[in-house]
Amino acid sequence: MTRQASRRGVLAGGFAALSAGCLGRTRNIAGRDRSSQLTLEINAPPADRDPNAIRIARHLAENLDAVGIDARINTLGLTDLRRKVLINHNFDVYVGQFREAEPFDPDAMYGFTHSQFVAESGWQNPFGFTDINGTDELLASQRRMDGDERREAVADLQRTLGELQPFTVVAFPDPLTAVREDRFENWTNRQPLSVGGLLGLERVDGGGAGGGETEGGNGTDGDGANRTADGNETADGNETADGNETADNETGDGLIDDTPLADDDGASDAATLRLVTTDERITQNWNPIAAEYRHYGTFTSLLYDRLALVDDGEVIPWLAADWGRVGDSGIEISLREADWHDGEPVTADDVAFTYEFLRDTAMGTTESPVPTPTFRGRVSAVDEATAVDEATVRLTLDGVTDAVGVRALQVPILPKHVWEERTGVATIGGFEFDAETTEAVVTNNENPIGSGPVRFVEASPEESVAFERNPDHFLTRAADGSTGGTDGDDSTDDEADPLAGIPERFRGKPAFDRLEIEVMGSDIAAVQAVGDGFADATVSNLGPDSIPRIGREADARLVTGQSGGFYHVGYNTRRAPLSNPRFRGVLASLIDKRTLVDTAFNGYAEAAVSPLAATPEWVPSDLRWEDRETDPVHPFVSESGSLDAETARDRLREAGYRFDEEGRLLAPDT
Amino acid sequence: MSPLLSVVGSLALWVGSALLVASVAIVGPRRLYALWNDLRDRLWEIRKPLAALVVVLIASAIGRSSLQTVSELFGLPLTWAIYALEGNFVAWVQATFGSPRLTMYFSAVYVYGYVFLLAFPFLAYLALPRTTTVKRLIVAYALNYAIGLVLYTIVLAHGPRNVMPEMVTSLLFTHNPEFMALTGEVNEPTNVFPSLHTSLSVTIGTFAVLTRREYPLWTPIAAWLATSVVIATMYLGIHWLTDVIGGTALALGAVYLSYRIVDEDGGREGENGVDSEE
Repeated sequence: MTRQASRRGVLAGGFAALSAGCLGRTRNIAGRDRSSQLTLEINAPPADRDPNAIRIARHLAENLDAVGIDARINTLGLTDLRRKVLINHNFDVYVGQFREAEPFDPDAMYGFTHSQFVAESGWQNPFGFTDINGTDELLASQRRMDGDERREAVADLQRTLGELQPFTVVAFPDPLTAVREDRFENWTNRQPLSVGGLLGLERVDGGGAGGGETEGGNGTDGDGANRTADGNETADGNETADGNETADNETGDGLIDDTPLADDDGASDAATLRLVTTDERITQNWNPIAAEYRHYGTFTSLLYDRLALVDDGEVIPWLAADWGRVGDSGIEISLREADWHDGEPVTADDVAFTYEFLRDTAMGTTESPVPTPTFRGRVSAVDEATAVDEATVRLTLDGVTDAVGVRALQVPILPKHVWEERTGVATIGGFEFDAETTEAVVTNNENPIGSGPVRFVEASPEESVAFERNPDHFLTRAADGSTGGTDGDDSTDDEADPLAGIPERFRGKPAFDRLEIEVMGSDIAAVQAVGDGFADATVSNLGPDSIPRIGREADARLVTGQSGGFYHVGYNTRRAPLSNPRFRGVLASLIDKRTLVDTAFNGYAEAAVSPLAATPEWVPSDLRWEDRETDPVHPFVSESGSLDAETARDRLREAGYRFDEEGRLLAPDT
Repeated sequence: MSPLLSVVGSLALWVGSALLVASVAIVGPRRLYALWNDLRDRLWEIRKPLAALVVVLIASAIGRSSLQTVSELFGLPLTWAIYALEGNFVAWVQATFGSPRLTMYFSAVYVYGYVFLLAFPFLAYLALPRTTTVKRLIVAYALNYAIGLVLYTIVLAHGPRNVMPEMVTSLLFTHNPEFMALTGEVNEPTNVFPSLHTSLSVTIGTFAVLTRREYPLWTPIAAWLATSVVIATMYLGIHWLTDVIGGTALALGAVYLSYRIVDEDGGREGENGVDSEE
């Protein structure tokens, strides 16, 4: 408004000047772009969806306003937020969580910050960050080094990222969940809702709700109960690939005659694990590579097996029975016997296809490759994947160290016969909308066909989704087979345990026959559902309003552990002035991490400097938070605890920025 | 599922009883008796506006999720603008007036009082010898919903409790999480502008004032309840002041249009007007 008015003023003055005969000078003035206050849009999900992120966003916005930057909070649903930030790169600042659920290897930063990914959509470098001589080189060298050399490179990498701040790490939240233990127990104190955590659960035998269970188990005691009965049936019906009857578990159902008290309307099976979440995305989309829809990808990991599973830092051969180094840079992997949920066998061909496909989901049919929007860093470590025979795959690695190689084994293995149909350019009603997107990237993947321990049953979007235990999965089938004897018809050493390398806690699992996830309106409603006995555990993040509630509910208990999903403030370094690392450094110093841990997380988080803080062995001592009051690299600019706006402005002035007489930071009009 | 059923059950029980008491006390046995005798004819008379309302409600029930998608893709994200406009007003309301008793009162009014407020005038005006008023009321309801739906699609914004949770407590859901099951069924969290709670309450309040000769007792009750619902939307942290102002404007517009559409003798041009609204 003011701008238009003043321009008109300039014009009027211009006409006056014209008559005075100094047109040139007028042009020199009117032709210059003028400045106005800098506006930054901070994107975050609303409190109902993520109670922590919005609090970080508000804190930052308040401090930005105080130093003279017009901060606008834009609340967006989880999917829209991801689409805006990860796919379209159409943002200034966002508040979000890293996508790794568990503490991770430093190589996770490769995909997140390497400049080779700036033009791609997805989790790979959403910041558009380019630091060719520093970050890129360190990223490339750390993945090819071992031992102390690698440690040194990783330490330098963290220092570089700390200095350049493509994103500001705020804190590592504790993965909090409210659980009740009257139906399922063994909730771990590490990652209660990771793949390993869910598979490690045990049924509570003879518990209040589960009167029928013991009868269902019928004779077999303890650990095996229901599963043994179940598994036997499976073995019979196995050849016909008709697992459905089995999963129903008639015995269990019919015998439940307990008072159907407050139980769910289904009330039926005590073998149903009921989870509640505020994140509706799992009820809409089951595409394991869709960046917009996956939080940690826990449930798609239950649908789609990976070659290796990492649980509590332990590498477990999963769909791969075993692997060994071949030559300089090869890994030869032998697969377990497994079937897809549609009955087709899992072959080495599928695995080779998966790696090629994730590198280019168009499989060479488009001008430039369309890489996967997730797992990009992982597959970039694999040069080539070839099927040696039916059950053996050879991966040629890009000269990377073992730990990075193991990360490359953790991608969802996809069935070739389903996904090779999705390599075409995505269309709407037959029209190509964007030549750089394939069907594979945008499909909701209804009726997902994986090979994992659970399979899809049904869903009603935005309300609920149901999975069931896959009776043909190797965990179940082989656990049963070991007593009944395997029919070894392959040449390989079949006498070996088909579950070799699988820890005892996963054998014969999952302990539930059915897994239901219901969407709740907020974290408070989710906790309440667990407290009232309508659900066994909460999945999504809990905020400071809901955590105290868990203590008040008699049957609910708080389980916590360690997470890799650090909260961070991400900057779009494609846009001025966010392109300036000094400017980002000042923004970082406006965030009081220590206070945020208390206010936004109720203390259930660890403030952090480095994105690798969950794995302290990689963090050099100068970047550890430990008992610090404030960030050692970009300390919070404060005066006795609260923001010192004047000092922050001075820093910005030193960095070359200017303010008007009202203290507003000026930026060129765009 | 089950928490939803229990909320709906208690809602039906309480509102049902309140309707019973209010219809005897306010409408009076004589008119109720006449209504009973004449019910079929009167329903037949109001069939057109009623059908229009049903169409709007069905369209909103079916189209809501696809309109929501349209809104997410093409709507105007205006949360920041609303916040820039009014700042911490809602937080101030909560900080200044917040007390456990008021929370209980406003929670009850927001859920139970509101449903009663919506249901009773329909019954009361249907019991009037002439159906003009009930037709206008129904048309006004339909207009509120139809215009509200359009505005929801255009404006994509979250309420104060979602934007500034550190200052505005989500009082309704914090103290009665079971209500969330109910409101979650009928509302999207991004549908805050305008406040439909406000617009419908103000609509009813306006009608109550306009019909004060027929039901003098109802006018103060409706005014009190409507005002309470309007305050509750902000006190509970659900709506912005901007939403409330928008809702009030929508209500007054809907009442005005309903008088234009349905004229004194029950309205010829009315039908056309209603139809073109679809």
